[in-house]
Amino acid sequence: MNKLTIGILGLLLLFSCSENQEKTTQKEEQLIAWKFVKEIPLQNITPIGIVAQNNFLWLSDVDNNRVVKIDLNGKIIEEFNDFERPMHIAIQENKIYIPQYTSDTISVLEKGSISNLILNETVDGISGLAIDGDRMAIADFYNHRVILKKGQESISIGKEGHNDGELYYPTDVDIYDNKIYVADAYNNRVQVFDVEGNYVQMIGWNEDIHVATGIKVTANEVIVADFEGNRVLIYDINGKLLQTLSENFNHPTDIEVYDNKIYVTNYKGKSISVFEK
Amino acid sequence: MRPKIKTAVITLVMLFTTLFTTVNSINAQTTSEKMYVKMEVDGLSCPFCVYGLEKKIKQIKSANDVVIELEAGEVTFNVLKEQELTKEKLQKIVKNAGFTAKEISFSEIPFKPTINE
Repeated sequence: MNKLTIGILGLLLLFSCSENQEKTTQKEEQLIAWKFVKEIPLQNITPIGIVAQNNFLWLSDVDNNRVVKIDLNGKIIEEFNDFERPMHIAIQENKIYIPQYTSDTISVLEKGSISNLILNETVDGISGLAIDGDRMAIADFYNHRVILKKGQESISIGKEGHNDGELYYPTDVDIYDNKIYVADAYNNRVQVFDVEGNYVQMIGWNEDIHVATGIKVTANEVIVADFEGNRVLIYDINGKLLQTLSENFNHPTDIEVYDNKIYVTNYKGKSISVFEK
Repeated sequence: MRPKIKTAVITLVMLFTTLFTTVNSINAQTTSEKMYVKMEVDGLSCPFCVYGLEKKIKQIKSANDVVIELEAGEVTFNVLKEQELTKEKLQKIVKNAGFTAKEISFSEIPFKPTINE
């Protein structure tokens, strides 16, 4: 009888500890939530893509067919013109990679000079790209696929459709830890593939995302811009929703994480929303 | 001496008149060769849609001055008449861009732009 009582008490204690631990974890998550800091107004820039470089931000200004370098207060430092609808840009070391949606070309901007990459694949509407080591992922909007290049080799990921592993107008892509994360815009979700092109998982399918326009992946988080939903969704790396930022946006298109801050471009707001923990 | 000057002046005037008439005629011909197009398109929501449709319209030979009003869902451009652009051809182009053309109008004079307040 005594043993039974001790056993029951022990179990109760165990449950109580487990509940407390869960509460502590939730508290920790709340403590590390992203908070709005400020909005950076932009001077006549309609931004789509954003990348950071040494305390500066680079933006693709799609309406004005240019790429601009701004300081962290929004002041234009440099501008490069005559692109044809530049979309989601990428950065590696000192090179800015600029996909041009109308001409289906990728330009590389390095120390003020511009060169073009030669693509062997036929693309239709390069909406975004990502670079990781010697891998480059290209979102091919009208062909409903992602092209993954490694040196001279390339594979095609996805095809038009709405099932697992199928894409419907992909707009942006990111590479992290040998996985390809695709903003599957008009399937209203994010899809994850491995570097062989195999489908791995789906993120955000039940969050009622209106148009998944931009994506950024860090060591702990998958951050998604919902253009029509006017919000940014933050997931853990396994796809569990951690936080929804639903204020201070005006049609967000892209995300950059730099110096412990999230920078979100607002296409219609012509501004950048900044968040920090 | 005087008749020579008179002849030179008359020749110059005739030359200028001919030149002026020719330029005017070319201009008139160019304007009349253009067909202005206006379309109402459903489903334009994001910049990728807008600039995708712009891209597809620019692929029409001689298409020029493409303007897309995102809020109004209105597209205007002009094209040479010799392209013989039809509503059916345009509906196909818009469909290939991922949208549906609701109304398509043709005109020999430019359409007035929609004013967004």
